[in-house]
Amino acid sequence: MTIHHHATDETLMRLAAGTLPAGPAMVVATHLAGCPVCRARLAQFEAIGGVLLDEIEPAPMTPDAFAAALAAIDAEEARDVAGTTAAAMARRPRRAAALLPGGIPLPRPLQDCEIGPWRWIGIGVRASAVTLPNDPAERLTLLRVGPGRKLPEHGHFGTEFTQILVGSFSDEFGRYLPGDLTEMGSEVEHQPVVDPDGECICLAALEGGMRLTGFFGRLIQPFVRL
Amino acid sequence: MTHLMEDGAAPDGREFARLITVVAADRDRQAFARLYSHFAPRVTAFLRKSGLPANTAEEIAQEVMLSVWRKAAYFDPARAGAATWIFTIARNLRIDHLRRARSAATAEQAPPADSETAPSGEVLLLASEREAAVRAALKALSDEQALVLRLSFFGDKAHSEIARELGLPLGTVKSRVRLALGRLRTLLEGDK
Repeated sequence: MTIHHHATDETLMRLAAGTLPAGPAMVVATHLAGCPVCRARLAQFEAIGGVLLDEIEPAPMTPDAFAAALAAIDAEEARDVAGTTAAAMARRPRRAAALLPGGIPLPRPLQDCEIGPWRWIGIGVRASAVTLPNDPAERLTLLRVGPGRKLPEHGHFGTEFTQILVGSFSDEFGRYLPGDLTEMGSEVEHQPVVDPDGECICLAALEGGMRLTGFFGRLIQPFVRL
Repeated sequence: MTHLMEDGAAPDGREFARLITVVAADRDRQAFARLYSHFAPRVTAFLRKSGLPANTAEEIAQEVMLSVWRKAAYFDPARAGAATWIFTIARNLRIDHLRRARSAATAEQAPPADSETAPSGEVLLLASEREAAVRAALKALSDEQALVLRLSFFGDKAHSEIARELGLPLGTVKSRVRLALGRLRTLLEGDK
Protein backbone atom coordinates (compact mmCIF):
# COMPACT_ATOMS: atom_id res chain seq x y z
CA MET A 1 0.00 0.00 0.00
CA THR A 2 1.54 3.28 -1.10
CA ILE A 3 0.51 6.21 0.99
CA HIS A 4 0.34 9.59 -0.69
CA HIS A 5 -1.19 11.79 1.97
CA HIS A 6 0.67 11.97 5.27
CA ALA A 7 0.37 13.70 8.62
CA THR A 8 1.72 17.26 8.69
CA ASP A 9 4.83 18.20 10.67
CA GLU A 10 2.72 20.23 13.05
CA THR A 11 0.38 17.33 13.80
CA LEU A 12 3.22 14.90 14.41
CA MET A 13 4.90 17.44 16.66
CA ARG A 14 1.72 17.84 18.69
CA LEU A 15 1.29 14.07 18.90
CA ALA A 16 4.90 13.76 20.06
CA ALA A 17 4.41 16.56 22.58
CA GLY A 18 1.17 15.03 23.83
CA THR A 19 -0.90 18.09 23.01
CA LEU A 20 -3.05 16.65 20.23
CA PRO A 21 -6.54 15.86 21.61
CA ALA A 22 -7.41 12.17 21.97
CA GLY A 23 -9.85 12.05 19.02
CA PRO A 24 -7.48 13.42 16.37
CA ALA A 25 -4.65 11.46 18.05
CA MET A 26 -6.61 8.24 17.43
CA VAL A 27 -7.14 9.11 13.76
CA VAL A 28 -3.42 9.78 13.40
CA ALA A 29 -2.67 6.52 15.25
CA THR A 30 -4.64 4.56 12.64
CA HIS A 31 -2.56 6.31 10.00
CA LEU A 32 0.69 5.52 11.80
CA ALA A 33 -0.26 1.85 12.10
CA GLY A 34 0.03 1.58 8.32
CA CYS A 35 2.62 4.27 7.58
CA PRO A 36 6.26 3.54 8.40
CA VAL A 37 7.28 6.91 6.97
CA CYS A 38 5.20 8.85 9.50
CA ARG A 39 6.27 6.52 12.31
CA ALA A 40 9.88 7.38 11.55
CA ARG A 41 9.00 11.09 11.43
CA LEU A 42 7.18 10.79 14.75
CA ALA A 43 10.26 9.16 16.28
CA GLN A 44 12.22 12.21 15.19
CA PHE A 45 9.75 14.57 16.86
CA GLU A 46 9.81 12.47 20.01
CA ALA A 47 13.59 12.79 19.97
CA ILE A 48 13.08 16.57 20.09
CA GLY A 49 11.12 15.98 23.29
CA GLY A 50 13.96 13.84 24.60
CA VAL A 51 16.53 16.52 23.88
CA LEU A 52 14.41 19.29 25.38
CA LEU A 53 13.90 17.12 28.47
CA ASP A 54 17.60 16.46 28.72
CA GLU A 55 18.47 20.14 28.40
CA ILE A 56 15.87 21.53 30.77
CA GLU A 57 16.97 23.23 33.99
CA PRO A 58 16.38 20.49 36.63
CA ALA A 59 13.76 21.29 39.27
CA PRO A 60 14.48 20.69 42.95
CA MET A 61 12.68 17.68 44.40
CA THR A 62 11.68 17.05 47.98
CA PRO A 63 14.68 15.61 49.88
CA ASP A 64 13.25 12.15 50.46
CA ALA A 65 11.90 11.68 46.94
CA PHE A 66 14.42 9.03 45.93
CA ALA A 67 13.90 7.08 49.17
CA ALA A 68 10.16 7.20 48.50
CA ALA A 69 10.72 5.83 44.99
CA LEU A 70 12.78 2.94 46.37
CA ALA A 71 10.11 2.25 48.99
CA ALA A 72 7.48 2.12 46.24
CA ILE A 73 9.66 -0.35 44.32
CA ASP A 74 10.02 -2.50 47.45
CA ALA A 75 6.28 -2.49 48.01
CA GLU A 76 5.67 -3.37 44.40
CA GLU A 77 8.14 -6.23 44.43
CA ALA A 78 6.54 -7.61 47.58
CA ARG A 79 3.21 -7.57 45.77
CA ASP A 80 4.77 -9.13 42.68
CA VAL A 81 5.97 -12.03 44.77
CA ALA A 82 2.38 -12.46 45.85
CA GLY A 83 1.60 -12.50 42.14
CA THR A 84 -1.14 -9.91 42.11
CA THR A 85 0.16 -7.10 39.90
CA ALA A 86 1.64 -9.41 37.29
CA ALA A 87 -1.71 -11.09 36.80
CA ALA A 88 -3.54 -7.76 36.76
CA MET A 89 -1.15 -6.37 34.16
CA ALA A 90 -1.11 -9.45 31.96
CA ARG A 91 -4.84 -9.80 31.56
CA ARG A 92 -6.60 -7.11 29.69
CA PRO A 93 -10.05 -8.02 28.58
CA ARG A 94 -10.10 -8.31 24.84
CA ARG A 95 -13.21 -8.66 22.79
CA ALA A 96 -13.26 -10.31 19.39
CA ALA A 97 -11.83 -8.01 16.74
CA ALA A 98 -14.66 -6.08 15.16
CA LEU A 99 -14.96 -6.08 11.40
CA LEU A 100 -15.81 -3.29 9.07
CA PRO A 101 -18.42 -3.93 6.41
CA GLY A 102 -16.92 -6.22 3.80
CA GLY A 103 -15.12 -8.25 6.47
CA ILE A 104 -12.18 -5.88 6.70
CA PRO A 105 -10.69 -5.94 10.18
CA LEU A 106 -10.80 -2.76 12.16
CA PRO A 107 -7.40 -1.02 12.33
CA ARG A 108 -5.55 -2.16 15.42
CA PRO A 109 -5.58 1.15 17.29
CA LEU A 110 -9.40 1.12 17.10
CA GLN A 111 -9.85 -2.38 18.46
CA ASP A 112 -10.34 -1.32 22.05
CA CYS A 113 -12.86 1.34 21.09
CA GLU A 114 -16.58 1.04 21.43
CA ILE A 115 -18.04 1.07 17.91
CA GLY A 116 -21.64 2.23 17.76
CA PRO A 117 -24.27 0.93 15.34
CA TRP A 118 -24.39 2.31 11.80
CA ARG A 119 -26.97 5.03 11.62
CA TRP A 120 -28.54 6.46 8.52
CA ILE A 121 -27.75 10.13 8.29
CA GLY A 122 -28.53 10.85 4.67
CA ILE A 123 -28.97 9.16 1.33
CA GLY A 124 -26.00 6.85 0.89
CA VAL A 125 -24.39 8.08 4.09
CA ARG A 126 -24.18 6.18 7.34
CA ALA A 127 -22.17 6.92 10.42
CA SER A 128 -21.14 5.15 13.57
CA ALA A 129 -19.92 6.81 16.74
CA VAL A 130 -16.56 5.61 18.02
CA THR A 131 -15.91 5.91 21.73
CA LEU A 132 -12.41 5.77 23.13
CA PRO A 133 -12.01 3.39 26.07
CA ASN A 134 -10.08 5.99 28.06
CA ASP A 135 -11.79 9.11 26.96
CA PRO A 136 -15.53 8.70 26.48
CA ALA A 137 -16.00 12.43 25.97
CA GLU A 138 -13.95 12.51 22.76
CA ARG A 139 -15.97 12.08 19.62
CA LEU A 140 -14.82 10.16 16.61
CA THR A 141 -16.96 9.06 13.72
CA LEU A 142 -16.78 6.25 11.22
CA LEU A 143 -18.39 7.40 8.02
CA ARG A 144 -19.61 5.01 5.37
CA VAL A 145 -20.54 6.66 2.13
CA GLY A 146 -21.84 5.00 -1.02
CA PRO A 147 -20.10 5.18 -4.41
CA GLY A 148 -20.45 8.53 -6.11
CA ARG A 149 -22.04 10.11 -3.03
CA LYS A 150 -21.00 13.36 -1.52
CA LEU A 151 -19.75 13.46 2.01
CA PRO A 152 -21.76 15.89 4.09
CA GLU A 153 -20.85 19.38 3.01
CA HIS A 154 -19.26 21.33 5.78
CA GLY A 155 -16.69 23.79 6.91
CA HIS A 156 -15.19 23.70 10.36
CA PHE A 157 -13.62 25.83 13.04
CA GLY A 158 -10.73 23.53 13.87
CA THR A 159 -8.80 20.99 11.86
CA GLU A 160 -10.59 17.92 10.59
CA PHE A 161 -8.58 14.69 10.55
CA THR A 162 -9.76 11.91 8.25
CA GLN A 163 -8.13 8.55 7.68
CA ILE A 164 -9.32 6.49 4.71
CA LEU A 165 -9.92 2.86 5.67
CA VAL A 166 -11.76 1.46 2.65
CA GLY A 167 -12.47 2.83 -0.83
CA SER A 168 -11.54 6.31 -1.94
CA PHE A 169 -12.82 9.83 -2.30
CA SER A 170 -11.72 12.93 -4.10
CA ASP A 171 -12.08 16.60 -3.40
CA GLU A 172 -10.74 19.87 -4.76
CA PHE A 173 -7.30 18.95 -3.43
CA GLY A 174 -6.77 15.43 -4.63
CA ARG A 175 -7.71 11.79 -4.43
CA TYR A 176 -7.52 9.88 -1.18
CA LEU A 177 -6.98 6.13 -0.96
CA PRO A 178 -6.84 3.64 1.93
CA GLY A 179 -4.00 4.54 4.27
CA ASP A 180 -4.14 8.23 3.39
CA LEU A 181 -4.68 10.86 6.04
CA THR A 182 -6.20 14.24 5.30
CA GLU A 183 -5.97 17.25 7.55
CA MET A 184 -8.28 20.04 6.56
CA GLY A 185 -7.75 23.38 8.25
CA SER A 186 -10.56 25.70 9.28
CA GLU A 187 -10.07 27.92 6.27
CA VAL A 188 -11.20 25.07 4.07
CA GLU A 189 -14.72 24.45 2.95
CA HIS A 190 -14.46 21.32 0.86
CA GLN A 191 -16.78 18.87 -0.78
CA PRO A 192 -15.40 15.33 -0.85
CA VAL A 193 -17.10 12.94 -3.27
CA VAL A 194 -16.67 9.18 -3.03
CA ASP A 195 -15.20 7.68 -6.18
CA PRO A 196 -17.69 5.72 -8.29
CA ASP A 197 -16.03 2.31 -7.98
CA GLY A 198 -17.14 1.47 -4.45
CA GLU A 199 -18.20 2.68 -1.04
CA CYS A 200 -15.79 4.55 1.17
CA ILE A 201 -15.27 4.09 4.89
CA CYS A 202 -13.25 6.60 6.81
CA LEU A 203 -12.52 7.58 10.37
CA ALA A 204 -12.89 11.25 11.18
CA ALA A 205 -12.32 13.48 14.15
CA LEU A 206 -12.60 17.18 14.50
CA GLU A 207 -10.63 19.48 16.62
CA GLY A 208 -12.94 22.32 17.49
CA GLY A 209 -16.48 22.68 16.26
CA MET A 210 -18.05 22.00 12.90
CA ARG A 211 -19.83 24.55 10.84
CA LEU A 212 -22.29 22.55 8.84
CA THR A 213 -23.76 23.83 5.68
CA GLY A 214 -26.22 22.44 3.22
CA PHE A 215 -28.87 19.79 3.61
CA PHE A 216 -26.64 16.90 4.69
CA GLY A 217 -24.83 19.18 7.02
CA ARG A 218 -28.01 20.03 8.88
CA LEU A 219 -28.86 16.34 8.97
CA ILE A 220 -25.53 15.36 10.43
CA GLN A 221 -25.52 18.18 12.99
CA PRO A 222 -27.55 16.44 15.71
CA PHE A 223 -25.59 13.27 15.12
CA VAL A 224 -22.17 14.69 15.69
CA ARG A 225 -23.43 16.33 18.89
CA LEU A 226 -21.52 19.54 19.06
CA MET B 1 31.51 6.82 34.76
CA THR B 2 31.35 8.74 38.01
CA HIS B 3 31.05 12.03 36.16
CA LEU B 4 27.44 11.14 35.49
CA MET B 5 26.60 11.43 39.14
CA GLU B 6 27.10 15.15 39.03
CA ASP B 7 24.06 16.93 37.81
CA GLY B 8 24.65 19.09 34.82
CA ALA B 9 27.56 17.01 33.55
CA ALA B 10 27.55 16.56 29.80
CA PRO B 11 24.72 14.09 29.21
CA ASP B 12 25.73 10.92 27.50
CA GLY B 13 22.80 9.25 25.82
CA ARG B 14 24.59 5.97 25.31
CA GLU B 15 25.50 5.70 28.97
CA PHE B 16 21.92 6.31 30.06
CA ALA B 17 20.71 3.76 27.53
CA ARG B 18 23.18 1.27 28.98
CA LEU B 19 21.95 2.00 32.50
CA ILE B 20 18.37 1.25 31.49
CA THR B 21 19.40 -2.11 30.05
CA VAL B 22 21.29 -2.86 33.29
CA VAL B 23 18.14 -2.05 35.28
CA ALA B 24 16.21 -4.40 33.01
CA ALA B 25 18.70 -7.25 33.20
CA ASP B 26 19.90 -7.08 36.80
CA ARG B 27 17.26 -4.99 38.59
CA ASP B 28 20.27 -2.92 39.57
CA ARG B 29 19.34 -0.16 42.01
CA GLN B 30 22.67 1.60 41.61
CA ALA B 31 22.00 2.05 37.92
CA PHE B 32 18.46 3.15 38.73
CA ALA B 33 19.79 5.71 41.21
CA ARG B 34 21.90 7.30 38.49
CA LEU B 35 19.02 7.43 36.07
CA TYR B 36 16.88 8.88 38.82
CA SER B 37 19.32 11.61 39.76
CA HIS B 38 19.56 12.77 36.17
CA PHE B 39 16.01 12.37 34.97
CA ALA B 40 13.66 12.77 37.96
CA PRO B 41 14.46 16.50 38.46
CA ARG B 42 14.22 17.08 34.72
CA VAL B 43 10.91 15.28 34.35
CA THR B 44 9.64 17.31 37.30
CA ALA B 45 10.80 20.49 35.60
CA PHE B 46 9.20 19.47 32.32
CA LEU B 47 5.87 18.75 34.01
CA ARG B 48 5.96 22.02 35.91
CA LYS B 49 6.76 23.92 32.77
CA SER B 50 3.80 22.30 31.08
CA GLY B 51 1.54 23.81 33.70
CA LEU B 52 1.21 21.29 36.53
CA PRO B 53 1.55 22.45 40.15
CA ALA B 54 4.88 21.58 41.78
CA ASN B 55 3.59 18.78 44.01
CA THR B 56 1.62 17.12 41.19
CA ALA B 57 4.64 17.42 38.92
CA GLU B 58 6.80 15.61 41.46
CA GLU B 59 4.17 12.91 42.03
CA ILE B 60 3.95 12.21 38.31
CA ALA B 61 7.74 12.33 37.97
CA GLN B 62 7.89 9.63 40.66
CA GLU B 63 5.41 7.57 38.62
CA VAL B 64 7.56 8.12 35.54
CA MET B 65 10.65 6.84 37.31
CA LEU B 66 8.75 3.83 38.66
CA SER B 67 7.66 3.10 35.08
CA VAL B 68 11.31 3.30 34.03
CA TRP B 69 12.05 0.65 36.67
CA ARG B 70 9.07 -1.49 35.73
CA LYS B 71 9.28 -1.22 31.96
CA ALA B 72 13.06 -1.14 31.52
CA ALA B 73 12.87 -4.46 29.67
CA TYR B 74 10.71 -2.82 27.00
CA PHE B 75 13.32 -0.17 26.29
CA ASP B 76 14.79 -0.75 22.85
CA PRO B 77 17.93 1.34 22.31
CA ALA B 78 17.57 0.93 18.55
CA ARG B 79 14.18 2.65 18.63
CA ALA B 80 14.63 5.53 21.01
CA GLY B 81 17.36 7.17 23.03
CA ALA B 82 17.12 7.08 26.82
CA ALA B 83 15.94 10.69 27.13
CA THR B 84 13.40 10.19 24.34
CA TRP B 85 12.03 7.03 25.91
CA ILE B 86 11.65 8.69 29.30
CA PHE B 87 10.13 11.75 27.66
CA THR B 88 7.43 9.60 26.04
CA ILE B 89 6.64 7.94 29.38
CA ALA B 90 6.32 11.36 31.02
CA ARG B 91 4.18 12.61 28.16
CA ASN B 92 1.84 9.62 28.40
CA LEU B 93 1.48 9.84 32.15
CA ARG B 94 0.80 13.54 31.85
CA ILE B 95 -1.95 12.81 29.31
CA ASP B 96 -3.38 10.18 31.68
CA HIS B 97 -3.30 12.62 34.54
CA LEU B 98 -5.08 15.35 32.59
CA ARG B 99 -7.67 12.86 31.39
CA ARG B 100 -8.32 11.61 34.90
CA ALA B 101 -8.63 15.18 36.03
CA ARG B 102 -11.28 15.66 33.35
CA SER B 103 -13.20 12.46 33.83
CA ALA B 104 -13.08 9.82 36.52
CA ALA B 105 -12.13 7.10 34.06
CA THR B 106 -8.85 5.29 34.62
CA ALA B 107 -7.11 3.07 32.16
CA GLU B 108 -3.70 2.32 30.89
CA GLN B 109 -2.36 3.78 27.71
CA ALA B 110 -2.35 1.14 25.01
CA PRO B 111 1.03 0.50 23.45
CA PRO B 112 1.30 1.88 19.93
CA ALA B 113 0.42 -0.51 17.15
CA ASP B 114 3.23 -1.60 14.96
CA SER B 115 2.17 -3.40 11.85
CA GLU B 116 5.10 -2.84 9.54
CA THR B 117 8.77 -2.26 9.99
CA ALA B 118 10.12 1.25 9.71
CA PRO B 119 12.35 2.17 6.77
CA SER B 120 15.75 0.66 7.37
CA GLY B 121 17.61 3.95 6.95
CA GLU B 122 15.83 5.30 9.99
CA VAL B 123 16.46 2.22 12.04
CA LEU B 124 20.11 2.22 11.20
CA LEU B 125 20.48 5.69 12.58
CA LEU B 126 21.04 4.62 16.14
CA ALA B 127 18.56 6.30 18.39
CA SER B 128 21.08 8.01 20.63
CA GLU B 129 22.75 9.38 17.53
CA ARG B 130 19.40 10.73 16.53
CA GLU B 131 19.19 12.56 19.83
CA ALA B 132 22.64 14.03 19.17
CA ALA B 133 21.56 15.08 15.67
CA VAL B 134 18.38 16.66 17.01
CA ARG B 135 20.38 18.46 19.67
CA ALA B 136 22.65 19.96 17.05
CA ALA B 137 19.73 20.86 14.80
CA LEU B 138 17.91 22.66 17.63
CA LYS B 139 21.00 24.78 18.20
CA ALA B 140 20.96 25.78 14.55
CA LEU B 141 17.48 27.31 14.82
CA SER B 142 17.08 31.01 15.36
CA ASP B 143 16.25 32.03 18.94
CA GLU B 144 12.73 32.95 17.89
CA GLN B 145 12.13 29.62 16.19
CA ALA B 146 13.58 27.70 19.12
CA LEU B 147 11.34 29.64 21.52
CA VAL B 148 8.05 28.96 19.73
CA LEU B 149 9.04 25.33 19.30
CA ARG B 150 9.84 24.98 23.00
CA LEU B 151 6.59 26.68 23.95
CA SER B 152 4.52 24.44 21.74
CA PHE B 153 6.33 21.36 22.95
CA PHE B 154 6.27 22.03 26.64
CA GLY B 155 2.78 23.11 27.12
CA ASP B 156 -0.82 22.66 26.52
CA LYS B 157 -0.85 26.11 25.11
CA ALA B 158 -2.65 26.60 21.89
CA HIS B 159 -0.79 28.70 19.39
CA SER B 160 -3.28 31.48 20.04
CA GLU B 161 -2.14 31.61 23.68
CA ILE B 162 1.50 31.57 22.69
CA ALA B 163 0.74 34.43 20.33
CA ARG B 164 -0.84 36.43 23.14
CA GLU B 165 2.04 35.71 25.46
CA LEU B 166 4.68 36.79 22.96
CA GLY B 167 2.57 39.68 21.71
CA LEU B 168 2.70 38.34 18.17
CA PRO B 169 -0.06 37.83 15.63
CA LEU B 170 -1.36 34.24 15.55
CA GLY B 171 -0.30 33.83 11.92
CA THR B 172 3.27 34.76 12.85
CA VAL B 173 3.43 32.12 15.58
CA LYS B 174 2.00 29.49 13.28
CA SER B 175 4.38 30.30 10.47
CA ARG B 176 7.29 30.40 12.91
CA VAL B 177 6.44 26.91 14.16
CA ARG B 178 6.08 25.69 10.60
CA LEU B 179 9.39 27.27 9.59
CA ALA B 180 11.13 25.84 12.64
CA LEU B 181 9.83 22.36 11.91
CA GLY B 182 10.76 22.63 8.25
CA ARG B 183 14.24 23.87 9.15
CA LEU B 184 14.70 21.03 11.62
CA ARG B 185 13.66 18.52 9.03
CA THR B 186 16.12 19.90 6.48
CA LEU B 187 18.90 19.81 9.06
CA LEU B 188 18.10 16.29 10.17
CA GLU B 189 17.66 14.89 6.71
CA GLY B 190 20.78 16.70 5.55
CA ASP B 191 23.05 14.70 7.81
CA LYS B 192 21.98 11.26 6.74
